[in-house]
Amino acid sequence: GPYGGGPYGGGPPPGPYGQPPPGGPYGGGSAPGGPYGSPYGGPQPGPYGGNVPPGVDPEAFSWFQTVDVDHSGYISVKELKQALVNNNWSSFNDETCLLMINMFDKTRSGRIDVYGFSELLRFIQQWKNLFQQYDRDQSGSISFNELQQAFSQMGYSLSPQFSQLLMARYAQRSSNPSIQLDRFIHICMQLQSTTDAFREKDTALVGNVRLSYEDFLTMVVTRML
Amino acid sequence: YGGAPGGPAFPGQAQDPLYGYFAAVGGQDGHIDADELQRCLTQSGIAGAYKPFNLETCRLMISMLDRDMSGTLGFNEFKELWAVINGWKQHFISFDTDGSGTVDRQELEKALINMGFRLSPQTVTAMAKRYSTQGKIAFDDYIACLVKLRALTECFRTRDTSQQGFVNFQYDDFIQCVMSV
Repeated sequence: GPYGGGPYGGGPPPGPYGQPPPGGPYGGGSAPGGPYGSPYGGPQPGPYGGNVPPGVDPEAFSWFQTVDVDHSGYISVKELKQALVNNNWSSFNDETCLLMINMFDKTRSGRIDVYGFSELLRFIQQWKNLFQQYDRDQSGSISFNELQQAFSQMGYSLSPQFSQLLMARYAQRSSNPSIQLDRFIHICMQLQSTTDAFREKDTALVGNVRLSYEDFLTMVVTRML
Repeated sequence: YGGAPGGPAFPGQAQDPLYGYFAAVGGQDGHIDADELQRCLTQSGIAGAYKPFNLETCRLMISMLDRDMSGTLGFNEFKELWAVINGWKQHFISFDTDGSGTVDRQELEKALINMGFRLSPQTVTAMAKRYSTQGKIAFDDYIACLVKLRALTECFRTRDTSQQGFVNFQYDDFIQCVMSV
């Protein structure tokens, strides 16, 4: 079809990528709380009373307590930002954190609870695995060519011009522009939700839709949430 | 141009004062990126009493005028941006009647109508929700909202060849429109 589509639904397929490495989503055995280990030396008291809620991975729980700096039982965009880093040690950017919080925020309060956080970590790990797979030269970031190949493998057929546009918008400016993990996740999430929005309107599956200005704006604005 | 008299001494005082700010943040190659724009705008004091722009908003502003898709602005584009921001700032100030540095959903709606946008209440609500913190929209987020709105409107308008308010979007084109903002 005109979409390519990609098999993702709400996120990348679990696929053959295996379990997250021990020690947390940074890989390499980093302890929860960031690459430098937890500053608190262990789980802190909080609304969950130190007991792992049912269905939550103990490691995710431990990490949650470290990230939930104000012990509110919820993680905000700001707290999340401090917990996630790219391969070049830069924090995840605001936009990506906001998108992810919104995705796992069941209460529409702009924050996530421990269950949402646990799912979010799984989500990030899956994207991280994919990112590493597409980062063929293992540079830690994704180049123009690697991005094009990634789209192709995900089942999208998008023009080089589009990839160029994304590089201009998302890549770090240098002699070798490339995209960090946070922005890669952002791009893929946006691609997914924009495709969904389009597909919803394209009931005849012809690959084009007729939109009024209002419809267009509403579609985009609500999907940007 | 408001703010402190800017920049280092520049040969040829008859030069555009804006160029002082531009060159001061490394417009050596004739272009500034989001980081440099942020510094530039902060130094120029255009945000006035309001919090300076965050990096993401600066990136958005560049993308609004970045015709060659380089991720940077040349001096003329910078001048254009300056004029636009000043216009929006005046609007914001006029609506921020209590001087709190924020506007609410209603004030956003009034501002949008004032600027000639005709949007449904649902669309305005969606925008307000996206850009507000605890029901209030700060100057920086207000600018981000307007930049996106303007960019999306431009995208739409250039494709609305018959000017009827409708566009037939191909999938590729739609994706490009939306994700380039």
